[in-house]
Amino acid sequence: MDIAAPPTSHEARSTRGQGHWRTVIRGVGQTMITAGVIVLLFVAYELWWTGLTTKRDQHHLFTQIHQQWNRGQLLKDPPLGSGIAILRIPRFGAKYVFVIVQGTATADLIKGPGHYPGTAMPGHKGNFAVAGHRTTYEHPFYNLNQLKSGDPIVLETAKTWFTYTVEDIPGTHAKAQEIVAPTDIQVAYPVPDQPNAALPPTQKVLTFTSCNPRYSAAQRIVVHALLTQQQPKRAGLPPALAGYRLAGS
Amino acid sequence: MYVWLWRRLPGGIPGKLTGCAVLLVAVVAVLFLVVFPWASPRLPFNHVTVNTPQSPSPQVQQTDKPAVPT
Repeated sequence: MDIAAPPTSHEARSTRGQGHWRTVIRGVGQTMITAGVIVLLFVAYELWWTGLTTKRDQHHLFTQIHQQWNRGQLLKDPPLGSGIAILRIPRFGAKYVFVIVQGTATADLIKGPGHYPGTAMPGHKGNFAVAGHRTTYEHPFYNLNQLKSGDPIVLETAKTWFTYTVEDIPGTHAKAQEIVAPTDIQVAYPVPDQPNAALPPTQKVLTFTSCNPRYSAAQRIVVHALLTQQQPKRAGLPPALAGYRLAGS
Repeated sequence: MYVWLWRRLPGGIPGKLTGCAVLLVAVVAVLFLVVFPWASPRLPFNHVTVNTPQSPSPQVQQTDKPAVPT
């Protein structure tokens, strides 16, 4: 960088000029490299760090929900961000366990899959609707596209196991799996795809929503399921979880 | 910028290296704990709910009473 030989007065001006440009170009180069490194760090943050924070939150929620169940403390209106049920999907393996939290705001969804407030609770008539991250934040719904008709989705609540089965919802246009526009909120109606809410729900439906395709917000991927089996927890594991060994319960 | 920083850091080569490491950790911490959490929800791939264009939360009509999980 430094000039080796003392230049003549004539050369000095042009060298000073070159040095000036050199500084500018070096500055631009350094700025661009720095920006590139920050972008790479952001990718690492999204793909790795958000998973760690969600894992930490899930661990905490898991302990909390069991304490709550053991105390027999049942909240009529669960506060936003608190755990309301534990989700297991055998298609995604025995290690797939997520505490579903109340609420679908950004702050709720970074903790885990979130229950749309105002939609039915597990096991109730209507639509238990849940949104979850497809990518980042431990991506609970990364493989939502792999769920097929007949796949069980198991919810654990304080005293009951609820097994829903992925399928088309009878009497509606709601398919077991569908791709919809981000504004198609009718998928979360008490009777999916029936905007006439005067009609009371007779079926117990579960709905998952996430973004589609992965890393995009162009569409939403939706999975519907119907409650097909339920049993008290003291009766042991539901058939869909045969072979599971549960920790902490 | 980096040349200027390197010249300004005290303590010879070991001191300069330590100073660089401390500054690097500080910058990464600010990015991960403040800047990125702010930027992340503003990105499209974190939009996972169905909404009406106006409201951030779904206007889902409720016919089932909110109840505790049983």
